[in-house]
Amino acid sequence: MIVQGLVFYLFAAIVVVSGVMVISARNPVHSVLFLILAFFNSAGLFVLMGAEFLAMILIIVYVGAVAVLFLFVVMMLDVNFVQLREGFLQYLPVGGLIGIILFVELLLVLGGAGVTVEGAPANALAAPMPAANVTNTEALGALLYTKYVYLFQAAGMVLLVAMIGAIVLTHRTRPGVRRQNISDQVGRRREDGVELKKIQPGQGA
Amino acid sequence: MDIALTDLLLEYLPILIFLGVAIGLSVVMVGGSYIAAHQKPDPEKLSAYECGFDAFEGSRAQFDVRFYLVAILFIIFDLEVAFLFPWAVALGEIGVFGFWSMVVFLGILTIGFVYEWKKGALEWE
Amino acid sequence: MDIGLTHYLSVAAILFSLGIFGIFVNRKNVIIILMSIELMLLAVNINLVAFSTALGDMVGQVFAMFVLTVAAAEAAIGLAILVVYYRNRGSIEVEDIHLMQG
Repeated sequence: MIVQGLVFYLFAAIVVVSGVMVISARNPVHSVLFLILAFFNSAGLFVLMGAEFLAMILIIVYVGAVAVLFLFVVMMLDVNFVQLREGFLQYLPVGGLIGIILFVELLLVLGGAGVTVEGAPANALAAPMPAANVTNTEALGALLYTKYVYLFQAAGMVLLVAMIGAIVLTHRTRPGVRRQNISDQVGRRREDGVELKKIQPGQGA
Repeated sequence: MDIALTDLLLEYLPILIFLGVAIGLSVVMVGGSYIAAHQKPDPEKLSAYECGFDAFEGSRAQFDVRFYLVAILFIIFDLEVAFLFPWAVALGEIGVFGFWSMVVFLGILTIGFVYEWKKGALEWE
Repeated sequence: MDIGLTHYLSVAAILFSLGIFGIFVNRKNVIIILMSIELMLLAVNINLVAFSTALGDMVGQVFAMFVLTVAAAEAAIGLAILVVYYRNRGSIEVEDIHLMQG
């Protein structure tokens, strides 16, 4: 129990500190790296909460793909990032005010009203946690594809739209590029390329 | 915290120990060399070595946009595979309906795949 | 030293506020704004999973999975729009994006 508490505070502290660094780092590449650190440690928090599968997906999808995408964009654009930070101090008061107000409100909800879930009736649960011998991934799978099938298909649609949108936005056909056309290559016959001419001796071509 | 969660976390204890050992070892190595070694930098030592010359420009070479398109398509299919894992584990429970719901999902994404193939987004040149 | 629901919710609240703060402070840099949105979605996910564990209800994790999907698609499209915008205008400052105001 003590170890669990210590690990929670370690992960939580690193998540918060790297969150601060994401929005305040001077170099956007550092921001992306701190974002990766934040994702890693919140994956640790997910494991502490017993959501193993989501923790692994967080690492695979976010650290493996989304953060790399951000890194690509930062390195792809030739932007003067120092110039982009010019308004930082100017917006600091109003941004800080709004952030603090929101945070205090959230804390009031947490502490003042008191979030208690102990008394929640068991029959109100949509899908109770499975028994101990069923893994987290299996319990997730048992729900995802049958009870929430419409949401699942909607997620597929979202992915389809994202795929098509990305292609429409960033794909450019380059004119004048020579490509290998294998079917033309293989389908070429002798008659297409070779012509026999009978040339009489002494007359020339 | 109930008993099942504690059991689950015990399974992750080796990973935690491993992480601790890895971080501790790397800190000891870097910190040890920092403390033990002589640190006397001067401009000559810090300059480019012998016949190496000073860099002409920043090392931040620009990427082509085509790399970016490949990365986006990778994310989409990464998520598709992420949805396949629980499906494969729970296939015995969810039965025929679950099987076909995943087939429809894959079908939707296959439409996108055919689109990008026809559009030439997978070709490099 | 017993870690309960409130602890996780506090972390999520801090992260969410940080995301809002980041959006307001980095008014010029769209990339940092997108990263702040990712932070906020991460906070939402922590909330969902924390309640899922506390209530003993799997649905929170199912929805966290969908939030993850939508967040990844959002990042992909947002960055694609950013790349196209940069190609057309040569800058990524948010203040330049006012063509729709007429």
